[in-house]
Amino acid sequence: MTAYDDRPAKLFIYPSIFFMLIGMFVGVFLAFNSFIFPDYFSGEHIHFGRVRPVHVSTVTLSWLLSVDVGLMFYFVPRLCGISIWSAPLAFVGAGLWWCTLLLGTNSFPWGTNWGWEYAELPMWISWIPIKFFFGISWVFIAVNLFMTIFCRRFEKLYVSLWYCMGTLIWTTFTVFVGNFALDWLPGGMSKVNASWFYVHNLVGLIYTPMGLAIVYYFLPKLANIPIYSHRLSMIGFWSIAFIYAWIGTHHQIHGPMSQWLQTTSIVFSIWLFIPVWTVVHNFMATIQRDWRKYVESVPIRFLIMGVIFYLITCVQGPLMALRNVNEITSKTDWVIGHSHISLYGAFTFFAIAGIYQAVPVMSQKPLWSNKLAEWHFSLNLWGSLLFLLSLWIGGFLQGLMWANWADGSSYAEFHDNLMRLPFLQTIANTREWWILRGIGGLIILVGNFLFAINIYNTVVLKKALSPVQVE
Amino acid sequence: MNASKNRSSFARFMHSFEKSTLFLILGIILLFSTSISVILIAPRYIDSTWTTPSSPYQVQMYEIADPHLYMRSISEGSELQYVHHLKKNSTLLAFKESEHLRFVAPPLLEKYITRYQEPKLLLTSQLLLVREPEGKMVEEAEAMRKNLESQKKEQENKTKTEIQIAELYDPQVEEAFSIDPEGGIIQEWVDENFTILDDEVKQPYHENYGVIYVQNPKEFRITPDESEKNTHWRYDPAGKAVQDLEELTSPSLGFYSRRELIEMGEHIYAIEGCWYCHTDQTRTLIEDVVLNGSDSYPAPPSSANEFIYQKITFPGTRRIGPDVSRVGVKRPSREWHMSHFWAPTKTSEGSVMPAFPHFFDRDSKQKNGVGVPNNRFEAIYQYMMTKGTRITAPTQAWWLGKDPIQTKEIIEGQKKLQ
Repeated sequence: MTAYDDRPAKLFIYPSIFFMLIGMFVGVFLAFNSFIFPDYFSGEHIHFGRVRPVHVSTVTLSWLLSVDVGLMFYFVPRLCGISIWSAPLAFVGAGLWWCTLLLGTNSFPWGTNWGWEYAELPMWISWIPIKFFFGISWVFIAVNLFMTIFCRRFEKLYVSLWYCMGTLIWTTFTVFVGNFALDWLPGGMSKVNASWFYVHNLVGLIYTPMGLAIVYYFLPKLANIPIYSHRLSMIGFWSIAFIYAWIGTHHQIHGPMSQWLQTTSIVFSIWLFIPVWTVVHNFMATIQRDWRKYVESVPIRFLIMGVIFYLITCVQGPLMALRNVNEITSKTDWVIGHSHISLYGAFTFFAIAGIYQAVPVMSQKPLWSNKLAEWHFSLNLWGSLLFLLSLWIGGFLQGLMWANWADGSSYAEFHDNLMRLPFLQTIANTREWWILRGIGGLIILVGNFLFAINIYNTVVLKKALSPVQVE
Repeated sequence: MNASKNRSSFARFMHSFEKSTLFLILGIILLFSTSISVILIAPRYIDSTWTTPSSPYQVQMYEIADPHLYMRSISEGSELQYVHHLKKNSTLLAFKESEHLRFVAPPLLEKYITRYQEPKLLLTSQLLLVREPEGKMVEEAEAMRKNLESQKKEQENKTKTEIQIAELYDPQVEEAFSIDPEGGIIQEWVDENFTILDDEVKQPYHENYGVIYVQNPKEFRITPDESEKNTHWRYDPAGKAVQDLEELTSPSLGFYSRRELIEMGEHIYAIEGCWYCHTDQTRTLIEDVVLNGSDSYPAPPSSANEFIYQKITFPGTRRIGPDVSRVGVKRPSREWHMSHFWAPTKTSEGSVMPAFPHFFDRDSKQKNGVGVPNNRFEAIYQYMMTKGTRITAPTQAWWLGKDPIQTKEIIEGQKKLQ
C-alpha cells in the first residue's frame, strides 16, 4: 500500500474550517447589523459596504476554495496511486496562499476593495502584490496536482480527476481574466461582460467541478457502492465543459448588454439542465442501491442533501435566466438566496462531507462524536431551509411589488403606482423576511461551531489508531 | 513518499502523459476558447454602442469640461467655488448680454459681444475676460447707463433692477482662471444658432454639433485673508490673479479638477461598497424606467455607451437601495445629498443605508447639525452627478421630453420596438 503524504491537504483543510466560522460569523453579524438593527454599530470601518466583502471573500476563498484545494490534495494522490508530486512546493503554495488571503480578505474595512464582484482582493497592500501572490500560489497548486496526475500509477483516469484537470485549466484562465485582464479592456460593457464571465465561471467552472469531483470520489468511498454509470459521468463532464463558459451574460438580462449576447446566455443557461440532471441522476442512482447508508452515515447525508440542493440551484439558475422570470427575481433577495444555496447548500455540504471522511483517515483517528455530527447535519439543514426560504419568498414578494409599478397603460398611471408604493416602502415590507433570514443564519453558525469542535477534538484529543483500523 | 520513488515516477512522465490526458486537456481548451472568442472578444467589434460615445456632448463633458473645471471642496464659511481654467485657442468663450448685464468694449473687441436679444451666440477661442469698467471705459459705461435708463423711462418699465455694465478686455495672456458663481452640474451648451468667430478651427471639438463654452468669464483673483482662522485667502475681484495651475492646485488653495473628483468618486464608490446595495443600470423594464423617471417623463434605459468613460462600472446585482443610474437628474441637490450621507434616515425614512460620517469633517460650526463636507463627499457627489445627465446635451435632454429612443411612447404602447 502506498503511503500518502497528507501534510499539504491538512495545511489547507484545517485552517479553512477556522475561516468558515469567521466568514459565517461575519455573515450573521451583517444580517443583524445591517438589516434587523440597521447601522447599530456604525462608522467608517464597520458599515455594511466595507464588511460585506469580508464575508463574501472569507467564505468563498478562505473557506470553500481552500477546503476544495485541500480535498484535491487528499484525493488526487489516492486516485493516482502515488503521493503528491512535491510536498515542499505545496508548503510554499499553502504559505503564500494563507498569507495573501489573511491580509487580502481582512483589508476591506480599510478601503482596499478593487470594485469588481468576486474579485475584490486588492492589487496591492502597501508593497505586497496580493493578487499576484494569490495567482502564483494557485499556479504552484495547479502544477503540483498536474504533475501528480501525469506521474500516476493507475492508468485509468477516474472522473474526479477529469474535473480536477478541468478546474485547474479553467480557473487559471478565469482568474486571470477577472482579476488582471479587466484593467486592459476598454471601459464600460467590455469590462462588465468580462467580469460576469469571471463571476459565473468562478461558480460554474471552479466550485461546481471541484464540488462534483468531491462527490464522485467520496460518495462511492463512503457508501462503498461503485458509481452508477461511467457513461453518464462522461456526458455530465463534457456538457459542463461545453456549456458553462457561455452563460456569464445572464447576470445582465434586461441590462445595457447587447440583446444577442443576452439571448445566447439564456439559451446556454437552459442547456445547463443536461449536465445537471445527468450528474444528479448518477449520484441518486448510486445511493438508491442502498438507501440505508443515508440513514447510517452523516457525511452521506451531507452529500445527498447537497446533491438535492445542487439540483434546486440548477433548476433555479436556468429559470432565472428566462426574461420573464428574471423580471421578477433579478435584483431582489432571491438572488442572494440563489447564491447561498449553490455555495452553501450544495458545495459547502459536499466539502463538509469530504472533511468528515478525510480527517479520520489523515489523522488515523475515528471521529470524536457521531452524535455531534448528527446535530451538525440537522442544524445545518433546518437553518439553511429557514435561511433560503425566507430569502426566496421575501425576494419574490419584493419583485412582485416592483412589478406593480408597471401596472397600467400610461406613464401617468405608472408614476402614480410608484407614488403610492415608493421604493422605501418595498424595503420596509421585506423586514420580516430579513429577521427570519438572520435567525436561519444563526442556526447554521451554531451547527458549524459544533462541527469545528468535533473536528478539533478528533484531531487533538483522540488517540491515534493503527491505519488498518481506520481503513 | 521518498525521493527515489519520486524520481522513478518522474521517469514515467512521458509514458503516462498519453492519449487520454492529452485528449482531455485539448478538449477542455478547445471548448473554452470557442466561447471566449464569441462572448468575450467578438461583442465589442459587433456592437458599436460598446465603443461609440452617446453624443458629442458626452465627449466634451468628459474630455474638455471636466479636466478644466476646478473646485475647492472644503470652504469654511463660504460656498463651494468653481474655477474654469481658460486656455487661448482651446476654450470657447461667449460674452452674452442679458436684461441685467451689458458690455462695453474697445472697438477691436466689440465683435465678440452677443448683444441683448440677439438670437445667434457668438463664440471665440480668443482669451478675453470681463471686469468692472476701468480707465477710458468708465465714461463709455456711464454713457451707456444713461442711455439705457432713458430708454427704460420711455417704456415705463416697472422693474427696478439695476443694470450692470461690465468691460470686455484682452488680458494678453495664454491662460487664465475665471470664477463661475453658478458652477452647476450642467455645463453651458449651445447646439444651434452659434458662430465661432475664429478664422480657422482651433480644436477638433469646435467642429462638433453643439459645443460647451464658458460664459462671461471674470478673472479669479484672491487676496490674503487674516480675519478668519483657517482660510488664508478669499475671492476678491481687486486682488491678485492666480498665476498657474500649480498655484491653484497647491495645498494652500486646494482646488481639484472635476475629473479628479469624479475619478476619486468612482474609487470611493468601489471601496465603500455602495455597489452592493445600489444598481447602476436602468433596465429595459417599465418598472425601472418609472423608478428612475421624472414626474412627467420616464428615464431612458441605460445604454452601453453611457459607461465608456468609466474605469470601473457597477451594474450591480441587488437593490437594497434604489438604482443610481439617473440620480444626477432625480436628486441634483447638493444639500440633499449632504444631509442624506450624514444621516440617511433623516431624508429617507425607513432606509437601511449606513451613515457616512467620514465624508464630513467634524466641526463645531455645523450647519443644520450636518458636518462640513470634505473631499470624499465632493468626490462621490460629483461622481453621482454624472449619472443620467450626460447622455445628450441638456437642451436635448430626456427629462425635457426629448428622449432619443422615445421611452414614453414605447411603454405606453404607441411605438413598437424594432
